[in-house]
Amino acid sequence: MAVDTQGQSNYLARPQPSGLAEVIDIILDKGLVIDIYVRVSLVGIELLTIDARIVIASVDTYLRFAEAVNRLDLEAKSSSKGLPEMVDDMTSGAAKSKTKGALEGVKEKLTGGDDDDDHDDEDVKQKQKQPRSRSKSSSSGSRSRSRKDDDE
Amino acid sequence: MSDGGPALYVYGVVRAPDAPQLDSLGVGDRGARLSDVVHGGVAAIVSEVDEGPLAAARDLRAHWRVLEDVAKRTTVVPVRFGTVMAGREELVQEFLAPQADSLAALLGELDGRVQLSIKAFYDEERLLGEVVSGSPAVAQLREKVKGMPEAAGYYERIRLGELVSGEVERCRERDTAAVLARLEPLAVAAKNEDPGTADTAVNATFLVEEERVAEFSKAVGQLTEELGERLRMRYLGPMPPYSFADADMAAGSGSWA
Repeated sequence: MAVDTQGQSNYLARPQPSGLAEVIDIILDKGLVIDIYVRVSLVGIELLTIDARIVIASVDTYLRFAEAVNRLDLEAKSSSKGLPEMVDDMTSGAAKSKTKGALEGVKEKLTGGDDDDDHDDEDVKQKQKQPRSRSKSSSSGSRSRSRKDDDE
Repeated sequence: MSDGGPALYVYGVVRAPDAPQLDSLGVGDRGARLSDVVHGGVAAIVSEVDEGPLAAARDLRAHWRVLEDVAKRTTVVPVRFGTVMAGREELVQEFLAPQADSLAALLGELDGRVQLSIKAFYDEERLLGEVVSGSPAVAQLREKVKGMPEAAGYYERIRLGELVSGEVERCRERDTAAVLARLEPLAVAAKNEDPGTADTAVNATFLVEEERVAEFSKAVGQLTEELGERLRMRYLGPMPPYSFADADMAAGSGSWA
């Protein structure tokens, strides 16, 4: 039964809090510029911003892969009816920890590590507070979103 | 030159009485504590920073979070990422004192307003299909190149790519114009930003009155319905007014480079 919830929810568009990857150009390139002659010129700031673009962009790429893999998971889930839910939970749990691991690897290598763990917890809590009244497909959407937020 | 105190990383400027107590941590490997430097009616949100270099993603993240945090509590003029002043005295003498009036004016302009961002992306295959079917020149050259061995068709292929690129640019202009025409009237100001990636159709930022965000969102919803089939829309915000933190916002303000 195709109910057009998609159209409805689109109509009531809400701005989404963004991950850093989605706004990185704004954060890097915008904002008030203080005269170059009065501020301290940081050695390597240009390189640094290039670095940041690359690091954040690669995190973004991983997240896209993670989302794509997540979608595959769900398709498999719907076709394999009768499998205990526990198996799904285990599968997605494993996928998640694998993704996390890769991301943290990048962060550690290029940024020196666990800068945002408590913030992530906040994000997750916020997500969980949201009412989970919608259909299965929409809850999968919010799951992939919260995963995305995990590292941004 | 320095007063001997530590160098200060500057995140943004708020009105002095509104300077918030912040729990979030600033840039640096241990995450510096935030404080503010007040002069006249304005206060700069700062943290002490060592001589050492900043670290790419970590400090960008800190900068982003601090400003998100400040913007939740009060009006803020975001300062560009990576701005460091030699010390407290320099910050006051070289920035806050000479710019106090224009900063106050800019804060006034930004009061009660938020930045929203619209990004829209093409599905590449679909877009290129449209280009080929919409441009006889492209279709013709495509047929011609198809029948040529790779080496012989080198210049034709470049020419084909150039034609396609031009058509894509036209699509982008058309889609951006359509989005701006609908949303700009609901915003205080709008800016068309650099597309960034090849599949970007629209990259625009808007400064919107908080009371009009619902109305703006409704218009975005309608646009999404209309364009959603061709474009993947992302509607982001509200965020601190990064894109509108410049001198032209405040009429008659002093100039800063």
